[in-house]
Amino acid sequence: EQQSAGASSKPIIHSDDIEMEPETMETKSVTDYFSQMHMGTLVNSC
Amino acid sequence: MDESGVLISMRDEDQSFHVRYRMEASCLELALEGERLCKVGDYNAGVSFFQAAIEVGTEDLQVLSAIYSQLGNAYFHLHDYTKALEYHHHDLTLTRTIRDRLGEAKASGNLGNTLKVLGRFDEAVVCCQRHLDIAQDLHDKVGEARALYNFGNVYHAKGKSICWNGADPGDFPDEAVVALRKAADYYEANLLIVKEIEDRAAQGRTYGNLGNTHYLLGNFRDAVVSHEQRLLIAKEFGDKAAERRAYCNLGNAFIFLGEFEVAADHYKKTLQLARQLKDRAVEAQACYSLGNTYTLLQDYERAIDYHLKHLIIAQDLNDRIGEGRACWSLGNAYTVLGNHDQAMHFAEKHLEISKETGDRSGELTARM
Repeated sequence: EQQSAGASSKPIIHSDDIEMEPETMETKSVTDYFSQMHMGTLVNSC
Repeated sequence: MDESGVLISMRDEDQSFHVRYRMEASCLELALEGERLCKVGDYNAGVSFFQAAIEVGTEDLQVLSAIYSQLGNAYFHLHDYTKALEYHHHDLTLTRTIRDRLGEAKASGNLGNTLKVLGRFDEAVVCCQRHLDIAQDLHDKVGEARALYNFGNVYHAKGKSICWNGADPGDFPDEAVVALRKAADYYEANLLIVKEIEDRAAQGRTYGNLGNTHYLLGNFRDAVVSHEQRLLIAKEFGDKAAERRAYCNLGNAFIFLGEFEVAADHYKKTLQLARQLKDRAVEAQACYSLGNTYTLLQDYERAIDYHLKHLIIAQDLNDRIGEGRACWSLGNAYTVLGNHDQAMHFAEKHLEISKETGDRSGELTARM
């Protein structure tokens, strides 16, 4: 059954039609960097 | 040095400190504004601010690394992958110089993603491996999971790139199958970790791509299981775009299982969500899929209805290839219904568009 369904649908579904999930890019932020530095300063001053 | 010499030297030092202070503050302000703009999705403006920040310069190499990384990501989002590669590469070199292992892992991950998009899979694999090795060394579970997900994506893209043109899922060359199986293994390894750390959003993404991998391998039942998990998680988060993707992928899998009615139901959900999200291109694709599904169900009236909807959107979007496809499908459907005038009209339109778009196979089909 799978075989015949596959053959009949051949013209309409292509591997390009699948919808991929987004890439996960790693983030580095200046804001986070300074927040961490600030936290470090606070911890060190305690 | 006499007293006046000491004073002049102190004044120079003071001035130099002042200039450096002003420079750092200015670089920081520009970088923060670039960051803000990228966060709201204005990557073009963000790039300008980051470039300006680099021109001003900074002596803080962690700040410079963050700027390079964000510039790389902004160019990635703008689909300028050559520039993205350039900045992620700068970031990698810098993090290695300052021996920032976590930063090096992140730069490697971003570089791997960019190389994947550029089709440079072997180099991408090297970057993914470095990302994974460092994450494991640092006992960073989140990083390890992300590296495994990226690995899966690289092998998925590699497998897809060597698939024969026009081949059906499950009917690909051995090399493609090997790559796709590796992708599935990496996604499974990722799932073990993201389940352990209870990261539902990451689980959702992995289930989606694992489903697509099973689909290309021809394991349509497994694809359905994964996409149903993806759908469930998308609903938990109220993530309409992810929900729409899951419905569309489920529709595709049910077509290959021969369950056309079920496929149509999923494509209808896709259409409904595409309209909610006001995504006209996806709306057109959903109409096209529905037209084709009703053709498979031999319900030609409904097929024509959806193909006409697809045609109208393709014309609105000035998508000549989509328009050509719609005309070809309409010509076929009207032929089956015995409406030869309409069949001829759409066949002629299809021929005209095929000539214009340089689609030789379309032109030959139209002439037949």
